[in-house]
Amino acid sequence: MSLPTSPYCTIGPFFPGEFAAGCGDLTAFDGKQARGQHILLAGRVFEEGKRPIINAIVEIWQPDAGGVFRHPLDPRSEDADPGFFGWGRARTDAEGRYSFRTVMPGAYTADDGALRCPHINLMLLAIGLTRRLVTTVFFTDGLNLVDTPESAVDPLLECVADPTRRARMFAIREKVSNGAAALPSYRFDIVTRGEAETPFFLD
Amino acid sequence: MRGQPSIQRHLPETAGVEYEPYEENTQLARYIKDYPRSFTRNPSQPLIQRPLTLSERTGPVELEHRLAIDGEDMSSKEPGGPRAIGQFIAVTGRVMDEDGAPLAGAVIEIWQANSAGKYVHELDRHQAPIDPNFTGLGRIVTGDEGQYKFLSIKPGAYPVTESDWWWRPPHIHFSIFGPSWMNRFVTQIFFPGEPLNEPDLLLNAVHDLEARDRLIFETTPTKVAAVNLLTFRRDFVLRGKRATPALD
Repeated sequence: MSLPTSPYCTIGPFFPGEFAAGCGDLTAFDGKQARGQHILLAGRVFEEGKRPIINAIVEIWQPDAGGVFRHPLDPRSEDADPGFFGWGRARTDAEGRYSFRTVMPGAYTADDGALRCPHINLMLLAIGLTRRLVTTVFFTDGLNLVDTPESAVDPLLECVADPTRRARMFAIREKVSNGAAALPSYRFDIVTRGEAETPFFLD
Repeated sequence: MRGQPSIQRHLPETAGVEYEPYEENTQLARYIKDYPRSFTRNPSQPLIQRPLTLSERTGPVELEHRLAIDGEDMSSKEPGGPRAIGQFIAVTGRVMDEDGAPLAGAVIEIWQANSAGKYVHELDRHQAPIDPNFTGLGRIVTGDEGQYKFLSIKPGAYPVTESDWWWRPPHIHFSIFGPSWMNRFVTQIFFPGEPLNEPDLLLNAVHDLEARDRLIFETTPTKVAAVNLLTFRRDFVLRGKRATPALD
């Protein structure tokens, strides 16, 4: 006997900007710098017709550079980086742009022996979406575990059979580093509908 | 354990919890007639089934270390300061999982319009006044039994700019962080008996009438509260349940 879940509803247009302020930088926590390679993860969010989605909320959740989640369910949580919280939020601007400063997530081996490639969980909330959209961001050069999207072995990537669609779950390393940040930059554009649509998971 | 972040307090017991995809009949439809963005933003491709790994089964906990938590009183800008104009209300309830187990330590974010139907937001074009004593946003944490409470003023209705007929009925937005990425939850809750509820496109997008009621506050007897306070209640059930125990 279980209770019926509450209905999800759209975030609407008026989510307070204050709720996103300061949440885009994951590289420090509790007065400590996060371990590992700091990176810039940035991109644009589009709807059908490649029109930018402004005022959307992007949230991410990821393990630290050692592949550990700051959560009691992770058997290695006592080794979690004390300078890394793992959660962030950003709001898209007038061109649909969002950005995070975070760390390159570590790979880890799950209890069942499955290898999880470096990845970041990402969810999107916006007007017109009555529920969140969820996907996972991968990296082709994360700890050199993955050379190409085709070679990646990961239980979530394996769910996306079409290699063209699978490639859209990979952040692209930008050749020109953002001058101000001087961090390795990765671009991850999100297309909710239309040409080059991002794969989203049943949620 | 020197220098470790504290992850003992409010430690959510999430081992063995199962998360099923949302049941469509308990949720809003994805595509809503006369709500054009639902047709330009929802994915055209089928959503992909995935296994749930540690990554999805964990999530941000103890967010009060990351986000500023406010007091329970949103009805004025400063504690003891002048109260915002409008019907003074208290909102209470519990946050639990599908087994009815309380979700303690869950951060709840609240945002709403003022009593004139105006948000403090740069994209709000409604010709209504901003109340100098009201921000309409707050952030609280659930207690040991999953309970929450905040004081505010009842929000007003407001017109949807892009529509020539649609007025949003009074409602309060909730964003709730359960203990896992799978029960991160966002919704809006309506007030009972409002004439604008009936034509509202979002409320009507829940086809199951019992499920629709779960988006509406219950009124509770006002005698239990201060006399100048109208009290509303809404419990939230976030996704997640224990595996069914094997029969002996």
